[in-house]
Amino acid sequence: MSTVTVLMPHETIEVTGQCVDDLVLVDRSVLPDVLGWELKPQGLCRDDECVPVRDRELLLHGDAVDLCAAAAAVGVDSMLAEDTDLVALSVPTSVRSDALKGRRAPDFVLPDLNGEDHSLEQFAGRKRLLVAFASW
Amino acid sequence: MVIAVALDETADDVRPFTEGVSFPVLLDRDHVLAELYAISNVPTVVWIDENGAIARPNSAEVGTDMFVDITGVRPDEHMDQVRRWVQSGTLPSDADTEIRDLDSDEIDARLAFRIAVHLRRIGQPSAADWFASAVELAPMDFTVRRAAMPLQGMDPFGDQFFELYAEWKSAGHPYHGIPRRR
Repeated sequence: MSTVTVLMPHETIEVTGQCVDDLVLVDRSVLPDVLGWELKPQGLCRDDECVPVRDRELLLHGDAVDLCAAAAAVGVDSMLAEDTDLVALSVPTSVRSDALKGRRAPDFVLPDLNGEDHSLEQFAGRKRLLVAFASW
Repeated sequence: MVIAVALDETADDVRPFTEGVSFPVLLDRDHVLAELYAISNVPTVVWIDENGAIARPNSAEVGTDMFVDITGVRPDEHMDQVRRWVQSGTLPSDADTEIRDLDSDEIDARLAFRIAVHLRRIGQPSAADWFASAVELAPMDFTVRRAAMPLQGMDPFGDQFFELYAEWKSAGHPYHGIPRRR
């Protein structure tokens, strides 16, 4: 089986699978790594929380799962570059709405200019001015 | 403290701006921050308190008066507001502004942009098509359209930028953040 490159917000990984038409067919075992949710009889589950899957037919294709349909079920948008076997996943919608409506600053991990990772959380306990800028 | 995040492709793009800087400067090649915080232009500043709550959301603030003629934004007022917040916790009256969420096209534009930068890094010519899709989806978003310019060999201060700036102005200068008093 071929591989699919998954562009997640914080990292890029390769998983076994294939793009067929507008589906990204992967083994269900990759879902926890890629989405943080796993497929169980009662739906897609994370810790004690489960999202029922209304139409399992849309999600399951033989032994494979459509990654895009699974993502949509947990509030993650996806975009497929079929000819290059590439799929990009958004951050869950709830993370941004918690920031905008719930006023919670979402954590992130990014490298500094020497390649060393830092998180927002790492500087908790201090008032922080987060400044997005660019050279352009 | 300041945490600066550069929406740029390489550390070398950023270094000229960070000489002598003592706070952390992070590199966000995939524009994670633009998606997480609904950021549509730079500079955008977010105030985050000790407990991780957003004290004052996205606003376009500057550290110098280099672009004051273009933007009308002066640094002094914001710096005074920051000092009052740090010293006494006082927030300006605009701090409770609710920021508009990204719409589905703006989310898709960020995904298309991420595909484009990935393809560009691995030397795939189809990167150009994905930059074009991203710009088509969010033509007023500077983190998409202007950020894509240098990655495609265009001058981010050239004709394409002034075209974007004129379109953005006539569209009522849309921005995901506290509206500027004009």
